[in-house]
This record gives sequence, structure tokens and C-alpha cells, in this order.
Amino acid sequence: MDQSLSFEDELAALLPRLRRFAHALSRNAADADDLTQATIERGLRSRQQWEPGTRLDSWLYRIMRNLWIDTVRARGRREDLHTPVEEAERIGEDPREAMEAAIDLGKAMAAMQRLPDEQREIVALILIEGFGYRECSEILGLPIGTVSSRLVRGRNALLQMMGA
Amino acid sequence: MVSDETFFAWLDGELDPAESARVEAAVNADPRLSTMAAQHRSMQARLKGAFDPLLEAPLPESLLGAVHNSPQPDVVDFAEAKQRRERRSWRPAPQWGAMAATLAAGVLIGTIVPHQQEAAPAEIHGGKMYAASALNHALDTQLASAPSGDIRIGMTFRDQGGAICRSFTSAPLSGLACRDDGRWQLRGLFAPPEGQTSDYRMAAGMDPSLAALVDSTMSGEAFDAAQERASREKSWR
Repeated sequence: MDQSLSFEDELAALLPRLRRFAHALSRNAADADDLTQATIERGLRSRQQWEPGTRLDSWLYRIMRNLWIDTVRARGRREDLHTPVEEAERIGEDPREAMEAAIDLGKAMAAMQRLPDEQREIVALILIEGFGYRECSEILGLPIGTVSSRLVRGRNALLQMMGA
Repeated sequence: MVSDETFFAWLDGELDPAESARVEAAVNADPRLSTMAAQHRSMQARLKGAFDPLLEAPLPESLLGAVHNSPQPDVVDFAEAKQRRERRSWRPAPQWGAMAATLAAGVLIGTIVPHQQEAAPAEIHGGKMYAASALNHALDTQLASAPSGDIRIGMTFRDQGGAICRSFTSAPLSGLACRDDGRWQLRGLFAPPEGQTSDYRMAAGMDPSLAALVDSTMSGEAFDAAQERASREKSWR
């Protein structure tokens, strides 16, 4: 990392990306900013645990994902009760319309919310944040095979919801 | 035959070149797979396109505040530390100088002796230690706002006697040098504790021992970029 920047500066530079990841995980924008704030605070408090020479962004994404899991668990895992994606109604009323138009953030967040938690985090890290499979498996502490198979299910479900 | 996992790994650029070529040939030869590739690329582009504007969006004040106003155990806020010190009418203890010199001597023996073929960063004249070679050059010429090379300048300020001082880092060491008769006298040179690399400390903030030395040495505020540049033009007088 650039040694002329302080830990705080590095963290501040990562804020937009962390905030994007938080929106991909969260139900709404307010939850997403709460999650981002909690991640910053935890990162600053735990900075001694960050191993030099490793990626600061991956470390912060891992913190955010773990905080998000805690939040989901605290809510009694209501997300587990959501309708199976295959039966859920499509987000775009007319698939042809969805094909042409760019979707807005609200619709994209709603589509992400319909994914099971364990698919959503992988879709967010790989399709939105641009991490490779290896990096994603390290952030989540999962075998690559698990990442790969959950990603297949998650993106197929999204294709159904969002149209091609 | 291409499994779903392999197909998407190809789409995501995760396959080695040979495997990737094999899947690409299979996709080109199979209209169903070609359509699937186009649909998923389009879906991913729209999904990412919906979230990407967040990267350009203004950040909420609360988030920026959380970065800069939270407890910072490893970083010393010099202005605040000085105010605290002045409120308590605490005066820097005279043993600071002796302690810094002791540390510096220990560090120098450990650092310079095994590498005598390299230009030592310090030399001793008349019982005082001065910056030498690359370190001396960096202190003379380099600005904190424009770091270059292995040596980085931290803060520039005046000590209680009016001499200009500059903190620096030259991995793995960091230290403080002040002008003394046209040269940079080393007031302290610090090595990271065992098991802690200098990269980490630079990311996390200044070495605590150096921070304490800076705090007890500094008079007034640290120079801003313009003051630093002006001082260089006047040869740090």
C-alpha cells in the first residue's frame, strides 16, 4: 500500500467501495450506511489485527460481511423465510422492458434481497465488487468449490428476476 | 460437455488459458451456450451498473466523521497532545534527550555495523550524531508533500530553540533530525519493536517513541506545505 497515507486515509479511500458492498447486502440504504459505519468503527478499533502485506480492502470486506451476518442473525434470520426465487414474481413487469432499460439501485437491491444470504454475499463480491473466486473464498472463509456453485445458483436466480 | 461451474468460471475469466480456449470453442459451437453467455453478461452489467453510481455519490457526513473522529489509539494528534500538555503545565523532562540518544546509539550499532559496505545514514562528529549520505540528502531536499525514494519526510517544525526539525522514516527506522550549525543533528532514531514491521507502523501512524520525542521538541504548529517549501528555499534556517 502507499506508505505516504495514514491508515485513516486508506480507509477513507475505500469508503465508496465498502458502501457499495453494504448496499448489495442490505435491505435498504439506511441499513447499508449503518453497516458501513459499524465496519469503519470496527476496522479502526481492530487495526492491530490487520496483517501488514495483506490487502486492506479484503480485510475490511471480511469485517463488513461478518457484521452483516451478525445483524441478520440478530433479526432471527427472517431472510430464511423469503419466497423461493423460482416462484417469486419478476421485478420487471415486462421482461422485454427490463432487457432494454438499465435498472435503478432500488430494484437491484430488491433483487439481491431475494437471494439467500449465502448466495447474496458471493454475488456481491464477485459480480458487483469484482473480486476473483480465490479472493472471495478467502474473504468468506469458504472453499472455492462452494463459492463457485453458490455463484451459479445466485446468478441464475438473478437472471430470472431481472430478465436477460 | 461444459458444466455450469466451468461455463461461469470461463465467463468470469477464472480458467487457465488452455481450459478457457476449450470452453470458448464449445460456447461458439453451441447457440444455447452463446445465448446464455450473452444473457449473463448483460445481467451482470445491469446489476453492477445499478450499484456503481454509489462510487461517485457524495459520502454521508456521518461516515466521514466515523473515519476521522473516532478513537485513534496508534496515532498521536500533536496539536491536541500539546494543548493537553500545556493545560497541565507539564514541561518536557530533561531525560528525553538522554533517552533518545541512548536509543539512537543502540539502534545505530545494531543497524550500521552489519552493513558497512552500504553508506551509513549517520556519522558522529564531536560527540554528536548527524545525518549522512541519502538521509542527509532527503532531509535537505525532500518535501513531506512529495515523498520519493526509500526515505519519507514526516513533519517539519521548529523546536523550542528555534531550530527547524524534521521527522523521517527510512524503513525500518524512523527518527527526528534538527538543524545544528548547518547540519542535521539526529535527536532520535527508533527501530520497530520485534515482530512489527515498519510498513504496518507507517500505515498505522508514527512510532510512539518518535511521537513522544516530536511532542516534547515541537514549539508551535507543524509547518504546512507552503512553509515547508519556503524553509527549504532558505536552507532550513
